[in-house]
Amino acid sequence: MRVTRTTRRLTLAFTGLALVFLYAPILTNFVFSLNSDRFPTIPLGGFTLEWYRLILADALVIDAFKNTIKIALIVAPVATLMGFAAAYADYRFNFLGKKLVLVFALMPPLIPLVVIGLAMLAYLSRIGLSGTLPAIIVSHIVLTSPFAMAIIRLRFSQIDGDLEFAAQNLGASNWRAFRAVIIPSTKTSVLAAFLLCMAVSFDEYAVTWFVGGLEETSSVRILSFLQSAVSPRINAIGSITFVTSISLILGAQFLVLRRLTKDAK
Amino acid sequence: MAKNNLTRRGLLKTSAMAAGALAIPMIARAQSVTEMTMLAWYGQAEPDAVAEFEELHNVKITPKYYVGGEQMLALLAQSPAGTYDLIHADAEYVQQLVRANFVEKLDPADYPFDDFYPEFHKFPGHWHDDELYAVISRFGFLGISHNLDAVSVKEAMSYDMLWDAKHHDKVGHFDWHLPNLGVLSLRNGNAQPYDISGGAWDKLQETTLSLKPQVRGFYDYGGVLSSLKSGEVTVMPGIGEWITGVLRRDGANVTTTIPEQGGIQFTESFSIGRGSRKAELARKFIQHASSPAGQYNLANLNVFPAIIPSQAGWERMIAEKPEDARHLGMFKGDGNAIDLIRKGRIHIRQLPVQQDLGDWNDFWSAYKSA
Amino acid sequence: MTSLLQARRLSRAAYGAMWSLPLPVWLAGFFLGPMVLLIWLSFWDVKNFLLTPDFQLENWQKILTAGYFWSAYARTAAIAASAAALATLVALPCALAISFFLSPRARMVLLGLFVVPFFTSYLVRIYSWQIYLTENGIVMKLMAAIGIETGSLLNTPLALMIGLVTLTLPLVIVIQSISLLSLDRTLIDAAYNLGCGPRRVLFATVLPAARPGIVLGALFAFIFSFGDFVTATYLGGGKFTTLSILIADTVKSGQQWPRAAVVALMMIATLLLTALASIAYAYRRT
Repeated sequence: MRVTRTTRRLTLAFTGLALVFLYAPILTNFVFSLNSDRFPTIPLGGFTLEWYRLILADALVIDAFKNTIKIALIVAPVATLMGFAAAYADYRFNFLGKKLVLVFALMPPLIPLVVIGLAMLAYLSRIGLSGTLPAIIVSHIVLTSPFAMAIIRLRFSQIDGDLEFAAQNLGASNWRAFRAVIIPSTKTSVLAAFLLCMAVSFDEYAVTWFVGGLEETSSVRILSFLQSAVSPRINAIGSITFVTSISLILGAQFLVLRRLTKDAK
Repeated sequence: MAKNNLTRRGLLKTSAMAAGALAIPMIARAQSVTEMTMLAWYGQAEPDAVAEFEELHNVKITPKYYVGGEQMLALLAQSPAGTYDLIHADAEYVQQLVRANFVEKLDPADYPFDDFYPEFHKFPGHWHDDELYAVISRFGFLGISHNLDAVSVKEAMSYDMLWDAKHHDKVGHFDWHLPNLGVLSLRNGNAQPYDISGGAWDKLQETTLSLKPQVRGFYDYGGVLSSLKSGEVTVMPGIGEWITGVLRRDGANVTTTIPEQGGIQFTESFSIGRGSRKAELARKFIQHASSPAGQYNLANLNVFPAIIPSQAGWERMIAEKPEDARHLGMFKGDGNAIDLIRKGRIHIRQLPVQQDLGDWNDFWSAYKSA
Repeated sequence: MTSLLQARRLSRAAYGAMWSLPLPVWLAGFFLGPMVLLIWLSFWDVKNFLLTPDFQLENWQKILTAGYFWSAYARTAAIAASAAALATLVALPCALAISFFLSPRARMVLLGLFVVPFFTSYLVRIYSWQIYLTENGIVMKLMAAIGIETGSLLNTPLALMIGLVTLTLPLVIVIQSISLLSLDRTLIDAAYNLGCGPRRVLFATVLPAARPGIVLGALFAFIFSFGDFVTATYLGGGKFTTLSILIADTVKSGQQWPRAAVVALMMIATLLLTALASIAYAYRRT
């Protein structure tokens, strides 16, 4: 867009401020995870690794981290696969009630988490699943698959729809056409969806608290620290989960955005 | 651990400890320890509370923490019987646990009630049709918690100070109607703060609503701690030493005063979950928690300190931690915790008697949005 | 010949079903189930603090006639709408800068920087904001240093907006950027060639063409803010009773989950209607 240099500079400066706004809380979280005072006040106390030591020596925190990883490793592939299937079906086929199915598939993020948590608990306990890791996994797949579907569908809308048909007309079977056309062009967005599902699963706390029973994830730990024993251990766990999520997200968006910016050129 | 620990050795030590911590669960599994589950208020199954017992009986206690008795009841209602071996709850929720058939009957002969102050030999909320369902572990008083820089103990001797213009926008509430309405009911001169007539209830609503302009916010447990610490609020009704005791450990100049009009008592207890397959072990845990050593330990929990019913426990507190004991009201002579109870200044927190619990709650919701 | 065709049609149908069924089936099992249960639950009774299956309209009657429900409803809608408007306004310059003023490489980095916070623990970020806004917090100290006396900013509408924009801004920026990036650039060039100034181009060409993205971004911001209870609790000090807080309070009234379900269903209905209306508006042909 052709604009004056001042406009351009002002807009970019504003964008910079927005970034500062978003990163300010993340920065203080790091600072206070290394601060010796129990309650976060300024001026700062001394430097300490005590809070990291405490959480790493806390069997509950360690178990929560292990659960978080186990859950994410199952949730991410399953949710991505289902999200992919739904996105592909929407792109490729026409069937009765397709729109209805789509709206339905996008519904879970609309529902307040406390509510979905209670409803899930009531339902899962009736089918004998409540209070187990599978209960958390099942719920996380419900919560993450719409995200996966949305991301992958976005990528499909940029693929030339005739390519696959052309391949089929040249005698390729469904599968061969799929392998030759669809897989290569969607694999980055699939990976991106995979990582995003992992990140959402890491961060979810409300539904997990309800359906998890005795099983906890690291986000549930943060919530219980936050609601009760306010302590810089919150910041320490926060920093660790932050670094984990950030690595996943950076990986994901590097792949997606590379594609997106290339296409927009 | 010393401050400024960023030396190579310090880091090595930290990572060695981390590795050690990671290995603990595996070692534990190798010895096949028994697992026991506990549904508890936050912090009641941390190592400082349970490690001694775990070692003694080669057991691992897995906690599920809740914040607020309603969460606990909801969880129990949706979990199969036997999920939780031990249940830690406040007295008014024990009644609900009994009525909903979530807990087992206990044999009073199993527990050292003789060592407890007589007031706790037959604590009303823990008995139902003359059967015992819960054993008291700790208790505390709720009055006015205040920042001593802004409010003196003398000032806090009456709830009327809450309306003082100089505390405008500085009064905080713990976001739960029972303790707040309880102390304000005392302020209105109701002899039984929770057993009040329709007229007194109308009056209580009016009194409470008139306090709203003074109110800074409604906080959960964590929020109460941070807001009193930062100076966001300077005075809180219906809160006690369970909050100010924690803040004082961190150097805050705060305390709790029980005003002349009286204070409210909260009570924690342990019960055995219905259908528990480890009932025998759970019984041992409750015995341990009631013993003088266990009681002394419970008075000093990291999560927050509290008064204990055991007389032997008191002796030890007074001998070993006189300062903490004094703040909690565990000392000899006039004005100690038991003395306050005997003088009738303390009233047990309970569900409203003449009104529906829903009415109190609806009013609290309306008060918050007023 | 017909049987071959039939077989082929059958295999095509099977192929289609294989892709189109898994997610709907999963959601029917594990999402529709809970939702139906939630609707049913709203007609249950509570006896002795225990949920008892029943069919009675009392819960609906109680909530829909309660003054505090409607005041919380109006407040929640107003807060969510303000947050959505604010997030949209703050996001627009950022999205424009990302889409039009940057090289592809810088664009990628910047978009990346905006996405990261959305997927990091929201609980922790809100907890951190407390440190800035509280009495004697960072903001107060900074203001004092430049000679401005302020009080604590916690429990104010400003604090609410800060929390909700923290939650929604990244998502809004990304949605807007995707929409702006896929604009037909020749359209913009044409406008310039016709002698339009930058302002005219922005308001007459770019923004109308990017309407779906702008509306969808605002919609998501509204949805997230409407259901949020973390900001209302930790930055609003519980003083602004939103519907999510009301749900928590209702449950505290002796296991009144059925009434909480009524509040929840009202929320879901509101969000669904808002979503359908915005989507219809976003893709309406002009």
